[in-house]
Amino acid sequence: MLDDTVNGLVAQFLESAHAAAATAETVGRNAEDLNASLLLATADDTFVLFSQPDDLDPMLFHLFLQNPRVITSPTKEQLSSVEAGVTDAFCGIASTGSVCVSITKSLTSPISILTRKHIVVVDSDTIVPRPRDVFSEIYLGGKGLSRSFSFITGPSATADMGPLVRGVHGPGKLHIIVLL
Amino acid sequence: MQNINDYKIHPREVADKSSKEVLRKAIRLALDTETDALRLNTQTFNTNKYKTIQRLADYEGLKDRARRIKEESIENRPGLVGKLTNTIRARGGEVFLAKSGKEAADYVRNVCLSHDAKLIVKAKSITSEEIGLNHELLNAGIEVAETDLAEFILQVSREQPSHIVAPAIHRSRESISELFKRNFRTDRLLETGEELTEFARDILRKKFLSADVGITGANLIAAEEGALLLVESEGNIRLTTQLPAVHIAIAGIEKVIASKKDFGVFIELLAASGTGQALTSYTNILQPPIDSPVLNLNGREDREREFYLVLVDNGRTKMREDEDLKEALYCIRCSACMNSCANFQAVGGHAFGGECYTGGIGGAWTLGTSGSLEKARFAELCTGCSRCVPNCPVKIDIPRLNTAIKNRLTKAAGGPSTQQRFFGHFADLARLAEVAPRISNKVNNLAITRVLMENVVGVDKRRSIPSFANETLEKQYRRYRINNKPASVTKSTFSHTVLFADVFTNYNNPEVGMSTVRVFDKLGLPIALSEVLDDGRGLQSQGLVEKAEQRARKLAAYLEKLIDEGKEIIVAEPSVLSMFRRDYEKLLDNNELFGKIAKHSFDPIEYLNGLIVNGSLDLSKHLIKPQSPFHRIFYHAHCQLKTIGGGNVTPEFFRRVGFTVDISNVECCGMAGSFGYKKEYYDISKRVGDDLISQINATLSLDKGTVLLASGTSCREQIGSEISATVYHPMEFLDTLVA
Repeated sequence: MLDDTVNGLVAQFLESAHAAAATAETVGRNAEDLNASLLLATADDTFVLFSQPDDLDPMLFHLFLQNPRVITSPTKEQLSSVEAGVTDAFCGIASTGSVCVSITKSLTSPISILTRKHIVVVDSDTIVPRPRDVFSEIYLGGKGLSRSFSFITGPSATADMGPLVRGVHGPGKLHIIVLL
Repeated sequence: MQNINDYKIHPREVADKSSKEVLRKAIRLALDTETDALRLNTQTFNTNKYKTIQRLADYEGLKDRARRIKEESIENRPGLVGKLTNTIRARGGEVFLAKSGKEAADYVRNVCLSHDAKLIVKAKSITSEEIGLNHELLNAGIEVAETDLAEFILQVSREQPSHIVAPAIHRSRESISELFKRNFRTDRLLETGEELTEFARDILRKKFLSADVGITGANLIAAEEGALLLVESEGNIRLTTQLPAVHIAIAGIEKVIASKKDFGVFIELLAASGTGQALTSYTNILQPPIDSPVLNLNGREDREREFYLVLVDNGRTKMREDEDLKEALYCIRCSACMNSCANFQAVGGHAFGGECYTGGIGGAWTLGTSGSLEKARFAELCTGCSRCVPNCPVKIDIPRLNTAIKNRLTKAAGGPSTQQRFFGHFADLARLAEVAPRISNKVNNLAITRVLMENVVGVDKRRSIPSFANETLEKQYRRYRINNKPASVTKSTFSHTVLFADVFTNYNNPEVGMSTVRVFDKLGLPIALSEVLDDGRGLQSQGLVEKAEQRARKLAAYLEKLIDEGKEIIVAEPSVLSMFRRDYEKLLDNNELFGKIAKHSFDPIEYLNGLIVNGSLDLSKHLIKPQSPFHRIFYHAHCQLKTIGGGNVTPEFFRRVGFTVDISNVECCGMAGSFGYKKEYYDISKRVGDDLISQINATLSLDKGTVLLASGTSCREQIGSEISATVYHPMEFLDTLVA
C-alpha cells in the first residue's frame, strides 16, 4: 500500500516526466503486468536490446525475456543498429521527471544511449523529491554517492540548429514505466 | 540582418580585442548579422530561467550554499587537488597538472599519440579552446570531431564560440542550412531543424563508432570520490565517454570541489540558471575509469578503460592571488550573466567576448588566462546595469570585476581619455554650466559643438546632450520653502526625510525633485533637501575607481550625519540609490557605514509604499478624483533599481491607486548612463533600445490613455529619443494625482 507522500511523489514524477517530453505510465510490480507494458511499448520494434537490471529484481523481467525479439547479448552490429532498448533505473526524481541510470559492467548505460527509443523501468519506492536528494545518504542507501550514473531527463535534445529538435545523439523517445 | 556566411568580416578576425578598431569591427559584425538570432535565443533562455528558478525549492539558499562551497574549494585548492590526484590514481587513472596551456595541450597530444589515435571525438570544452587543443592535435595529424552540434557548426564555419553554453547561439536555422549546403556535397534536404540535426548526427555517429579516444571537459570535479560532473542535452558526452576505451578530461583547477555530496546543489542551479530547464537531458556523474564494458565498436582491441585527467592552471593560481580576479574562479559557466545582459542579447560573444570567453564574466577570464589586459577590452561593453548580479548562482559581482578591468586599462593607457574625463566628471561640468545654463545649452547643441564633442570627447552627435535647467533644484527648493513653511516646527527638525539632491536631479531634472518635495508636503510628510554632492557613479562607470572612492567617502560622511540626526534619505534617481544600496559596499570598504546608508535610503515611491503598508499613511484621503486623461501606465523599471529589489514597487503602488500597469520586460533600456552617448557604442545602445521602444509603441497603439513612466533619467532620455509622448518620473505623475 502506498501512503500519501509516496503517492504524491509518483504523481509529481509523472507530471514532470511529461513536461520533459518523456512518456510515462504506472504498472503493478509483477512480471505479468510489466511484460504487458513492455510488449505494448515495443510492439513496432523488430528487435529490442535488453540489459540485465542493475537494481531491480531480474525475475520481474522473466516473462518479457521469453519474447524472441528480445536480445540480451547483442553483437557489435546489433548494438549500433537496433532501435529500441529496455533497461532499469535505480531511482526517479519527482521534481524533474528524471530517471537515474547506472554506469556499471552491464549494458544498461550503452543501451540507454545508443538506441533511438529507450524504455526504462523504475520502482516507485525509489522516487526521491529533488535531484540533490540522490547525493544524500538518507535516500537510496547512498547508491548515488558510490556509483557512476546519468540523470536522464526526457529524450536527447538540441536547439543548436535553431528550433528544438528531439533525438540527437541519444534516444529521441524516452518511455518510463513506474512499478507501483 | 545580413548574411553571416557572406559578410565582409569573419568572426575569427575580430576575436582578439587587443585594439579598439577590432572591437569596433566586431560590434559592426554582430549588429549586421547576428542580433536577431542572438536575441531570440538568449531571451528564451532568460525567460525560461526566471520561470524555472521560481519553481526551484530554496533558490536563494542554494545560491548561498553554492557560493560557500566554491569559496571553500578555491581556498583549499592545493589540498583538494592532492586528494583528487590520489583518488583517481588509486582507481587506475592518471592525473596531470599543467602549469600552462601549452603544457596541457602537449600532454593530451602525447597521450593520443601513445594510443595511436587517428580520430578523436570531443565534447564541448571551453578550457580546450583556451589551451588551443584542436590546433595542437591537428598539427600532430590527428583528426578531431567536435560532437556537440553547436561546436560541429563552428568547426564547419571556423568561428569561435559566441556563448559559453550554446556556442553557435548567433546563428539562425537559415544561416546554418546555407552553411551546410555550401560545405557538404549531399542530396539530402537541409532545411528544417530535424533535417539539419539528422544530417549532423549521421556524420557524427560514424565518427563515434570509429573514434580511438574521447575528450571532454568537466563542469565540476569532486576530490573525495574522484567524480566528474558533465552536463549536456544531446548525448554526445555519454557517447564520448563510453564508446572509446580512452577518456581524457580537461578542466581548469578551479573546478575541483571537496565532495560529490555537493553536486546536487550545482546541478539544480546550473540547469535552471543556464537554459532555464529543471535539468538538461543528461546530467552525468562519472567516477572514471568507468566500469562500462569496452565495446570496441571502433574495431580496436582495447582491453581496459583508461582515464587521464588534465588539470589546467594557465593563470588560475595568479587569479587566485588577485583580489579582483579571484571572484571569477567561482564561476560555474552557466551563462545566466550573458542571457540577462541587454548588451549581450544584442551583440553576443563575438563582440562582447574574446577568443573563447564571452560576456560579462569573459573579461576577467580572458585577462586571467591570457595575461593580456588589452584582450579583455571588451569588458567596456559591460555598462554596470547589474542585471547579471541577482542572476549569478554563485553571487559574483560581475560589474565590479569589469570596473576593475576598466580601471586597469585606464592606468595602462597612462590615465583617462578625454571621453572618460568628460563622463566621469559630468558632475563638475554641470556645476560650471549652471552659471549660465541657457548659454551652455545653446552652445552644447550648436552643430559645431556637436562635431567637436564627437571628435574630441567622443559623444555621439546623434544624441542630444542632457540640457541644464534654467534654475537648479536647490534654488527652486529654496524659493518654494520660503512660501511653504511646514507648520509649527523649527527649521532643522521639521522633517524626518531628506531628498538627496543628486547631480542629475539638481542640474538637469529639478522638476523631478520638486514633484517629490510637493508630494511629500501634500501627504503631510514635509521633506528637506540635501546639499548637492556627487555620488561617484560617473567616475566609477568610467573605471576611475580611486576618484569614485574619494567622492563616495565624502558623501557617505555627510549622509551618516543626516542619518544620525534621524533622517531617512529619499533618492529620486535610481542609479544613485543603487550606489547607496550596492556599489558603496565596495567603494566605501566600510561595512558598518555601508549598512547604515543602505538601510536608510529609499526610492520615494518605495518609502511611501512602506508607510501605506504599515498603516501610517492613508493615501486615499489625498487622491484627487481623476482629472488625468490617463488610466493605464506603462512603466519601465530601471535596471539597477530592479537589482536592488525595487522593480515591482512602483507598479504595485499605482495598481493600488487604481491604474492598470504594464511593465516593460527588458533588462535595460540600453542607454545605461553615459554608455549610449559614446560614439563607439551609440549603435548598440539604440539596438538594445529597440525592444523597449517596440513594447511602448505596442501599448500606446492599443490604448491612447497610457502614460509612460520611468524613474531613471537616462531611461527617459532613451525613450524620449524615439517616442514623442512625454515620459515622466513616477513622482511627477503622482504630483498630479494628490492634493
